[in-house]
Amino acid sequence: MKNVIEYDGYRLHLIPINKFKNVMIILKMAAPLTRETTTLRSLLSFMFTGGTEKLPSVARFSSYLEELYGARFSSSIGTKGLAHVIQIASVCIDSQYLKENEDLLTKQIELFRDVLFSPNAKDGRFDELTFNQKKKEFKWRLQALKDDKYSYSLERLFEEMGKNQPLGISTFGYEDEIDGITNEALYDYYLQCLKNDVFDIYVVGDIDENFETLFSKNFKLSKRPQEIATSTIFKSNKSDVLVVKEKQDIVQAKLNMGYTIDTDFTSPDHYAFTLFNGLFGGFAHSQLFKVVREEHSLCYYVSSSYDAFNGIMLVNAGIETKNYDQTVKLIQNELEKIQRGELSQELLDITKVMLENSLKKSDDEALNIIALRYNRDITHKEETNQQYIDRLNAVTLEDVIRVSKKVKLDTIYMLEGKE
Amino acid sequence: MEKLYYKTIKETLYHEKMDNGLNVYLLPKYGFSKTYGLFSTRFGAIDTQFVPLGQSEMIKTQDGIAHFLEHKMFDMEDGDASDKFSLLGASTNAFTSSSRTAYLFSSADRIDECVELLLDFVQSLYLTKESVEKEKGIIGQEISMYDDDPDWRNYFGSIASLFHRHPVKVDIAGTIETVNATTVEMLKECYETFYHPSNMMLFVVGNLEPEKMMELIRQNQAKKQFAPAQEIIRAKIEEPVTVYRKEEVLKMDVVMPKMMMGIKVNDIPQNGKDKLIKELSMNILLDILFSKSSPVYEEMQNTGLINDSFGAGFTQERDYSFIQVGGDTTKPEELKQYLTHLFDHLNEFDIDQATFERVKKKSIGIFINSFNSPEAIANTFSRYYFEGIFSFEIIDIISSITLDDVLKMRDYFVKDTKTVHIILPQKTSADN
Repeated sequence: MKNVIEYDGYRLHLIPINKFKNVMIILKMAAPLTRETTTLRSLLSFMFTGGTEKLPSVARFSSYLEELYGARFSSSIGTKGLAHVIQIASVCIDSQYLKENEDLLTKQIELFRDVLFSPNAKDGRFDELTFNQKKKEFKWRLQALKDDKYSYSLERLFEEMGKNQPLGISTFGYEDEIDGITNEALYDYYLQCLKNDVFDIYVVGDIDENFETLFSKNFKLSKRPQEIATSTIFKSNKSDVLVVKEKQDIVQAKLNMGYTIDTDFTSPDHYAFTLFNGLFGGFAHSQLFKVVREEHSLCYYVSSSYDAFNGIMLVNAGIETKNYDQTVKLIQNELEKIQRGELSQELLDITKVMLENSLKKSDDEALNIIALRYNRDITHKEETNQQYIDRLNAVTLEDVIRVSKKVKLDTIYMLEGKE
Repeated sequence: MEKLYYKTIKETLYHEKMDNGLNVYLLPKYGFSKTYGLFSTRFGAIDTQFVPLGQSEMIKTQDGIAHFLEHKMFDMEDGDASDKFSLLGASTNAFTSSSRTAYLFSSADRIDECVELLLDFVQSLYLTKESVEKEKGIIGQEISMYDDDPDWRNYFGSIASLFHRHPVKVDIAGTIETVNATTVEMLKECYETFYHPSNMMLFVVGNLEPEKMMELIRQNQAKKQFAPAQEIIRAKIEEPVTVYRKEEVLKMDVVMPKMMMGIKVNDIPQNGKDKLIKELSMNILLDILFSKSSPVYEEMQNTGLINDSFGAGFTQERDYSFIQVGGDTTKPEELKQYLTHLFDHLNEFDIDQATFERVKKKSIGIFINSFNSPEAIANTFSRYYFEGIFSFEIIDIISSITLDDVLKMRDYFVKDTKTVHIILPQKTSADN
């Protein structure tokens, strides 16, 4: 069985694995991330769970999923650097675990087809009740994000750091634009997406050759270029570090720091940087955790993360407002130590083992298997997991020190509590 | 070693009770790369009144002590357990619930060493006054983090209003005051009382060979000395049947108001199987009432009372249980009235056989699905184990549940055992 099949308008990636008790189908549709379309795309992703022509309400759609032994069907959004990606996911148990013999797989594929090609719509409009309901749901979701102080402060960092650049565009869209979107405009946009987006479909489960036939029969798209810009290195236009502080009536302050790193997913330094981030703040054995939490008891969480598709690094911690200066100084100090070459081989070795181990473990989760493949597929990176591990293991102490010197603090966003 | 085969889910479970009283369960998952080990003790946040090992008087210790001890267990005489796991490439963590504390690792390599390390670090205690003092700042920040989380405040606030005396009304981590008042001696007393092998259970699932691993565990346990097993005496909580507070409103710096209704369920079955039947039947009822397929849900959504954050759940632990229903809402008062009316007339709410069968199918599917995740298998097993329930049997028990079992659950929505917790934004929209 071929693993990747190119059809008109989409690539079908088959990943036959028999250790899972379900079948997962994930569709990713990618388009350029722009200020003009991000809200539209978010709203569209909500519509994909609003029912189909045959199941024309959320209640009937949900009831059908229950009938399929609690099959899950969801949509979500994310970015891959310069691309905005809508993801539609469907998980249904493998019928070999049922007492009754039922062809769940065919039903799962047909439902997927209907969601994408026969939504709850007619005459160029989505069902009005569902459309309005989903608009409300979307607004509520944005408000809930604001109430989650962790994600709110992270969003604010991106906004400030990436002002006038793709990084500053909200993945989730803008609340004040929702009311202005008409039903017709959204439906038009939906048709455009079907025509222009880059589609990749991944299937993980105990599947055989028949799957391919069954799927392609149900899934027809028009030809288009399967190319889209994704991974990028963020370049700052600031001469000094931008510090933004905001006050809210909260108990714990949220500190977020954004760094430029001159490295991204497709750079040769990607591997060295993955290790740098791991030993700096990616794990519980990392410098930041040891120093800021364990030695100084300043926080419960502190970590760094490497956003490989935006080419930046973030550090975040929950602290007391009064400890801001001390914490920032400690974090910067740990970075400078590595830049000066104060770094042990042991720490590097532990980080290598940890990264290798987590990569192996990711093989036990269908979602992770797909996420890893997608990153490579959309950047045309030909790499197996073993090659990735080998490349990580080839990184030297000197490499890590060299990439650490490219790390530069760009923006701090601090959400303060009231004293 | 005992071998148990479960046909429906095609899984084989291995079990052995060690000489020191420790129960060990192993579940090989063929084709999996990872192994997940979970070592649990029946000691949680509600265990604050008990007779310490070797003493005869009941004591009351500090709230949050089980969680504090969880943080300090990672300190070993020759270093930190998480560092040792890192050297093996493994990740480790721990969590405390109201009725148990659990320690875990997950790794794709060097599993034998990981299992031994898990047993060794939990079966030894190393505390210094200095390290205990240092931890107080970290736990303080953990508590603060939850203080700013409106969903947690609403969830927990409704529980606190349900109970007069039961320790479940206090946050799992305790308060800044009780954390600061915790001492080395108190932590030691808890450890000695509750970390005896006979009060614990080890579950390992994933890429493993059962015979070899059981032998490794046998040898590891044989090397260690423990006092003879003794029955742990916990205080019996005299909790009134009424609710502590009918309503509470909390103002926070948030945009979205929230409402949570709590219903105290006073009668808790003694027998594990009855407890499980009750839990599953109640969950089916709540699903029929409030999942997205239900007409009730549809009506609430169409009238703008709720959004998709809305949910309902049933919690049944050692000696307390309750139902919670709620979520984000722009109309907390109307939602409260709607639900109150619904519950007061629940006996008029009829369920047809087809709906019941459909929701039952969903429960079966969710259960089968959970067997894809080593973490979910182990956590579910441990959660039920100390309540005398064997989670591998859940699927057969779901299949045996009747519509009648579900209809009976309507009787628990009694009028005067309800509480309402509301979170409102501090600012009116005019200030924004």
